[in-house]
Amino acid sequence: MRARAMSRRRGFWHEVRKNWVMFLMLLPTLLFFLINSYVPMVGIYFAFTRYNFADGLFGSPFVGFENFRFLWQSGKLIQLTLNTIGYNLAFIVLGHTLAIVCAILLSEIGARFFKKLAQSIMFLPYFVSFVLINVIAYNLLNYDTGFINSLLVRWGMEKLDFYSISWIWVFLIIFFYLWKYLGYYAVIYLAVITGISDEYFEAAKIDGANIFQRIWYITVPMLRPTFIILLLFSLGSIMKGQFELFYQLVGNNGLLFNATDILDTYVYRSIKVTFDIGMATAAGLYQSLFGFVLIMTVNYIIRKVNEDYALF
Amino acid sequence: MRRNIKLVAAFLAVMLILLTGCMGGGKSEPGGGGSGGGGSGGRTSASGLDISQRVELQFYMLGDAPVDLPLIEAEINKMLVEDLNATVKFNFTTWTDWEQKYRLLLTSGQPVDLIFTAEWTQYQAYAKNGAFLALDDLLPKVAPKLYAFVPQEMWDAVRIDGKIQTVPATWKEYVTFGNVWREDLREKYNLPIPDSLENVEKYLAGIKQNEPDMIPLAANGLFHTPGYYDFKYEPAGVASYGFPYGLYIPYDDPSNVQQFWGSERHLEDLLVMKRWMDNGYISRNVLTTQDTAHTMLVTGKSALMMGDNPNRWNSTNQDMKSTHPDWELGYYPYPLKKGYATPVHPIHNGFAIPISSQNPERALAFYELMVTDKRYNWLTQYGIEGTHFQVTEDGYYEGLSDSFKREGMNGWAWRNPEYMLFDESFEAVNEIFHELDKIAKPDIFTGFAEDWTPYQAERAALEQVRQQYLHPLEVGLVDDVEAGLRTFMEKAKEAGLETIQKSYTEQWLNYLKEAGIQ
Repeated sequence: MRARAMSRRRGFWHEVRKNWVMFLMLLPTLLFFLINSYVPMVGIYFAFTRYNFADGLFGSPFVGFENFRFLWQSGKLIQLTLNTIGYNLAFIVLGHTLAIVCAILLSEIGARFFKKLAQSIMFLPYFVSFVLINVIAYNLLNYDTGFINSLLVRWGMEKLDFYSISWIWVFLIIFFYLWKYLGYYAVIYLAVITGISDEYFEAAKIDGANIFQRIWYITVPMLRPTFIILLLFSLGSIMKGQFELFYQLVGNNGLLFNATDILDTYVYRSIKVTFDIGMATAAGLYQSLFGFVLIMTVNYIIRKVNEDYALF
Repeated sequence: MRRNIKLVAAFLAVMLILLTGCMGGGKSEPGGGGSGGGGSGGRTSASGLDISQRVELQFYMLGDAPVDLPLIEAEINKMLVEDLNATVKFNFTTWTDWEQKYRLLLTSGQPVDLIFTAEWTQYQAYAKNGAFLALDDLLPKVAPKLYAFVPQEMWDAVRIDGKIQTVPATWKEYVTFGNVWREDLREKYNLPIPDSLENVEKYLAGIKQNEPDMIPLAANGLFHTPGYYDFKYEPAGVASYGFPYGLYIPYDDPSNVQQFWGSERHLEDLLVMKRWMDNGYISRNVLTTQDTAHTMLVTGKSALMMGDNPNRWNSTNQDMKSTHPDWELGYYPYPLKKGYATPVHPIHNGFAIPISSQNPERALAFYELMVTDKRYNWLTQYGIEGTHFQVTEDGYYEGLSDSFKREGMNGWAWRNPEYMLFDESFEAVNEIFHELDKIAKPDIFTGFAEDWTPYQAERAALEQVRQQYLHPLEVGLVDDVEAGLRTFMEKAKEAGLETIQKSYTEQWLNYLKEAGIQ
């Protein structure tokens, strides 16, 4: 065992000596990550100190897990975590399913002009910022002058105060998310579909497969690796769920918090009044740690099922 | 192959140089500026300060920079090189996310030489945490003129933990609250002047009746609630103070700390808000609207704004008149009803030197010039004479350009009463100030430096509860007010309200004892 480790280590240096040019080329990337991602991790220590300006990062008194206390002080940590995960699962599942469906539909459209047009129209919302999405939502839904309420009045119906009914926002938030990102993911999948060799389809056609069979047995399996990679990427940030989407749409409207509050918005609101660097770091650390555990677990499961698809 | 390797090596070398360049750039070397500056060895300023090294001062102010800032900066620097062998860079944070930016400026350790402070930027908390340099020894040595210029009681008033940590502004103004309403509409429909809660309600009702398309109260989020409380109860002291953690502290009897949240009075007020909402005085969109209360008033959407200070009333009025010359805003200052007015506390506007400053002496000397030297003061307050402003025959300020308006650099802190110029319309505000002068009493609230470290987790949790359960109540959006208030109190207690109140009260009583207030 030991000898093997030794030889492997020697092997590594041997490798370096042999391919030093390649390693040299790798160096900037390594440095980049070292400087931008690893060195700043020292700041994690902030989460365990009561920061004061005179003593700085390492001189400030160590307070253990005191900074994490505000997360569960209000007894909301579990609800927030569940909300965050729930929304993100909805985003991931609905988002990717719909994107795959759209990509397949687009790929089957023959007319080139219409295909490009549909693709562009679907992609456009991706460029709309969340601030604008909020303006759109507000003008559609507000009680006094909103488009929908004006319609309801014209049709002789009761007005609906969207901004005080929290459950509606579960659907609205998911809807606006899909509206914004559907086109983006559809284009990624479409690119993969375009890359599938025509020979498969032609062979299937000759064997007598109809269009649904061709999609189900060729296109969908071919999309799987892309789906898994995108899934792993989005799982990693599952606890960082779309702060802007929620904050812009809901803002400080307390009536909607129960159904719409996620960790990010909660942390933002709490720390806004205190500006405490320790507590902010603590919240960030909790999110990152949770994301890390999640991604490792899912990756482990994927590796068990099919090693080729795992990230690492 | 060899050539390839050379290319690769050259490429990497360039990358490394770039990288180190970037990293090195962050740290400005003290006394840097390389060539040019260092030559004049042994120079001293008028007050005996060693200025042999040329330095650049980093000056930070909140808000948006005026368009012509580079012109002003160039003019200032011309003089500053002469006087202190220094240049200054004026930086502005803009109003977007200024709180985070402010925090970052102080925590990241980047060199900042001068930064704005106020109670609403949490001066007391930052000072308690050691963010600013103590100026006690530096002031008489480096800025004797400034030290003499600011009255001793003002220096004492800004002390935190016994140390002067900011340079207060000396202009006496009032930022007390008042009601602002559409005087033209009031006259048209013969409504009472909203000088009491009763009359406010009559006025709102009258507007709703005669102008059904208007939403009478200019309400955005909780804009009107501090105003309402300040109007109804006498204690609120400084405008932004309100009820700390739901505690009621009467001005005349400050050691008698009482519960406000959850009390009968509180319930009564929430019911008033509910009634206003039901009667259509408040917009149902109040928690989500993007329009500020000012916009609502100026554009004619609303007709009454609760809780604005005299100065802003005047500027809002001028603003509105530029588009609607026949409209008119009236003003009723709350202190008249309360019987006393507290002039602005010295902490309200100040400039401090963060501990990250590399040239504190020069920074303070420069700030002295900004306040006490008329050339510096006018340049940074009003711009270049003849280009941006002129002084009328009667001695009033007259703006000539939109690229640098009056106090375009948000120079509230370095106002010098001796040099100040006013717009002619300011006479109206001055009149109010004179009236308030007659009933002036000292502000006892702002000098208190709350230390929330013992209960910061509870404080953060409470803030969330407040937003979720209390804010909707305070704008009248909850149908069952009584049950709503009960839920809020329950949740607040779970979040640790009692812990906070206990510790806060203790600190407050200690402060009263130390400050010698009753």
